[in-house]
Amino acid sequence: MERNPYHNKTLQWLAYIAVFAFLGLVPLMTDDDFLLNQLATYGVYGLLAVSISLCWGSGGILNLGQGIAFGLGAYGMAMTMQMQSQTEGTIPPFMMNNGLDTLPAIWEPFWSTGTGIFLALLIPTLFYLVFGGLMFAARVSGPFFAIMTLAILSALATIFVDLQPYTNGVNGISPPMPLTIGEVTVDPYSSTAYWLVFVLLLVCTFGAKLLTQSRFGLVVRALKDDPERVRFLGYNVAIYETCVYAISGLMAAVAGCCFAILTQYVSPAQFEVSFSISVVIWAAIGGRASLLWAMLGAFSVQGAQSYAGDQFLSTWILILGFSFILVVRFLPGGFAGLVEMVLDRLTRSTGGREPGLEISGAKGAAE
Amino acid sequence: MDISAVAFANSLVLGVSIASIFLVAAIGLTIIYGTAGVINMAHGEFIMLGAYTVYALQTNVGLPYFLCIPFAFVVVALIGFAIERLLIQYLYARPLDTLLATWGVSLVLTQGTRLIFGSDPKYIQIPSFMQSNIEFGGLSIGIFRILVIFSALIMVAAVWFIFYRTEFGIKVRAVTQNREMAASFGINSKQVYSLTFALGAGLAGVAGALFGVLNIVLPTMGVSYVVQAFLIVVTGGGALAGSAIAAVATGELQSIFAWFFNDTFARFLIFILIVVFLRFRPQGLISAGGSRR
Repeated sequence: MERNPYHNKTLQWLAYIAVFAFLGLVPLMTDDDFLLNQLATYGVYGLLAVSISLCWGSGGILNLGQGIAFGLGAYGMAMTMQMQSQTEGTIPPFMMNNGLDTLPAIWEPFWSTGTGIFLALLIPTLFYLVFGGLMFAARVSGPFFAIMTLAILSALATIFVDLQPYTNGVNGISPPMPLTIGEVTVDPYSSTAYWLVFVLLLVCTFGAKLLTQSRFGLVVRALKDDPERVRFLGYNVAIYETCVYAISGLMAAVAGCCFAILTQYVSPAQFEVSFSISVVIWAAIGGRASLLWAMLGAFSVQGAQSYAGDQFLSTWILILGFSFILVVRFLPGGFAGLVEMVLDRLTRSTGGREPGLEISGAKGAAE
Repeated sequence: MDISAVAFANSLVLGVSIASIFLVAAIGLTIIYGTAGVINMAHGEFIMLGAYTVYALQTNVGLPYFLCIPFAFVVVALIGFAIERLLIQYLYARPLDTLLATWGVSLVLTQGTRLIFGSDPKYIQIPSFMQSNIEFGGLSIGIFRILVIFSALIMVAAVWFIFYRTEFGIKVRAVTQNREMAASFGINSKQVYSLTFALGAGLAGVAGALFGVLNIVLPTMGVSYVVQAFLIVVTGGGALAGSAIAAVATGELQSIFAWFFNDTFARFLIFILIVVFLRFRPQGLISAGGSRR
C-alpha cells in the first residue's frame, strides 16, 4: 500500500465516484434550462479534456489536433439532425442556395439516424487509425507528431470552408430541429440533454480509467517514459500508440456529437487551431496525468472564462496565456501535481516511511 | 494551347514567389529548431510583431519603409532574446513543454498586441513603384514579390555566412553537434542558444516586415504562417539547405496543383504528400542535429 492517498487506487475510485455523484445531483438542484445547457457544454469540454489526458497524459502523445475528431463527429451529428428534419426528396436549403438540386452522395447515408450517428463516430476513428498508423509506424513522435496533427487540422478546416455546397462553408450547418432518437427528442435546453452528456462522460471517463489500469494501459504508460525500452521488450509500440490515439479520437468524436446536439450548430470554427490547443491547455492546467483532474481543468477554465464575461475577455486571454506559461514552467503536473505534492508532504510529516519505497510507489500509481 | 502554356509558365513563376514566402517564414524557425531543438510556436507571433514594428515606426516616426526593416529585425530579436532568457532556457530538456510554453507566449503576444494596437487591420505603406507589376512576354509578377524573392536569397546567404564563415557560426555548429563536448571546450552554450534564438526571432521580424505588405497586419496574422513554416522545417529536417529545398518544392507544387485544381485543394494535397513523405523519411530531407530526435 502506498502511503500517499493520491496514489491509493481505492481512494482514486472514490474521488471519481464523488465527483460524478455531484455532477449527477446538478439537474436536481436547478431547473434553469439555459444553465443546464451551459453545464452540459462544459461536460462536452470535460470529455475532450479526458480524451486528451488519455493519449497525452498516459501515452505521452501530444495531440494538438483533437479538433479533427471533434469537428468530424460534430459535422456527422449535425448532418444526421439536418436530414431528420428533411422530408423525402427535399434537400437542405443551403444546398439550394449553393446551386445543388440533388442530395450529394456523401449525405445519403445520413437519412438513417442510426447510420448517421454510426458514421459520425466511425469516420473520425478510422481517420485517426490511418493517420496515426502512418505516423507511428514511421516512428514520428513527440513534437513532430504534434505539428503534423496541427497541419492536418488546418487542412481540414480549409477543406470544409471550401466545399461550400456540401458543408455550407464558413456559415456551417444549423439543423432546425433537435435530435430525435426513436420516440425521445433530445431538447438541448432540458435535463434530457444534460443526462445524455452526463452518461457519456461517465462511461468514457470510467472506461478510460479502467483502460489506464489494465495491462494495455501499463504498456502505454511505459512507452511514455521510454518507447525504446518498450520496443526492446518486444512490444509493437506503433500498435499501442495507434490504439490509444484512436480511442482518444473516438471519445473526441462522441464529444463532437454531443456538441452538435447541444448547440444545434456546427461550423469550421470547431476545426480552429486555437480551440484544439485550448483543450490541451485545460488538460495541462488541471493535470494531464489524471483523467479526473484534466476534466476538472476544463470545467474550471471554461467556467472562469464565461464568468469573466465579455468585457473582460481580452484580459482573460492574457491571464490564461500567462497562467499556462507558469503551469508549464513550474508545475508540469498541473493542479493534480500540486495536490499530489501537498498530500505527499502531509503524509511524510505524519508517518515515517522509508525513502526507497517512494519511487516504486510513484511509478506504480495508476494515474 | 499557347495561352495555357503561358498560364502554366505564370504559375511556375508564382510558385517561385510562393516558395520565397515559405522560405522567408521558415528560415528563423529553421535556425531555432536546427540549433536548439526548440519547437517555437510563437514564431508566427514574432512575424506579427515584425509587421507591427514597421507599422508603428511608419505612423509614429514617419520612417521610410526600407529603413524600418532593420528596426524590425532588432526589435523582434530583442523580444526573442528576453523570452529565451526568461522562459525557454529552463525548458531545453523538455521539448514537448517548450512547444506548450511557446504557445502560451504566442497567446500573450497576440493578446498584448490586440490590447495595444486594437484588432482592426493595419496597412504598411510602400513606395508606389513597388506596387506595380513587371510584364515579360505574357509573364507577370509584382515588383514587391521580386523583392521578397531577393530577400529570401539574401537571408539564406546571410545565415549561411554567419553559420559557416564566422567564429560564432563555428560555436553554433559545435553546440548543435554535441552540447556537452562543446561546453568542455570552453564554448558558452547557454549564450550560443540565446543568441541563436534572438537571431531566429529577428529573421522572423524581417519576415513580418515583408508579409505586412503582402497581407493586412492583424494580431492574428501569425497563425497562418506558423503551421506552414513548421511543415517546411519538418520536411527539410532542420538544416538550412533542407528548408530551402523543401520551400522550393512545396511552393512550386502548391502553384502547379493550384493550376490544375484550386488553392485549397492544392494545400490539402501538399499536406497529404508531406505526411506520406514523413512516413518514409521521418528525419526529413537533410537531418540537422544528427544525434537528436
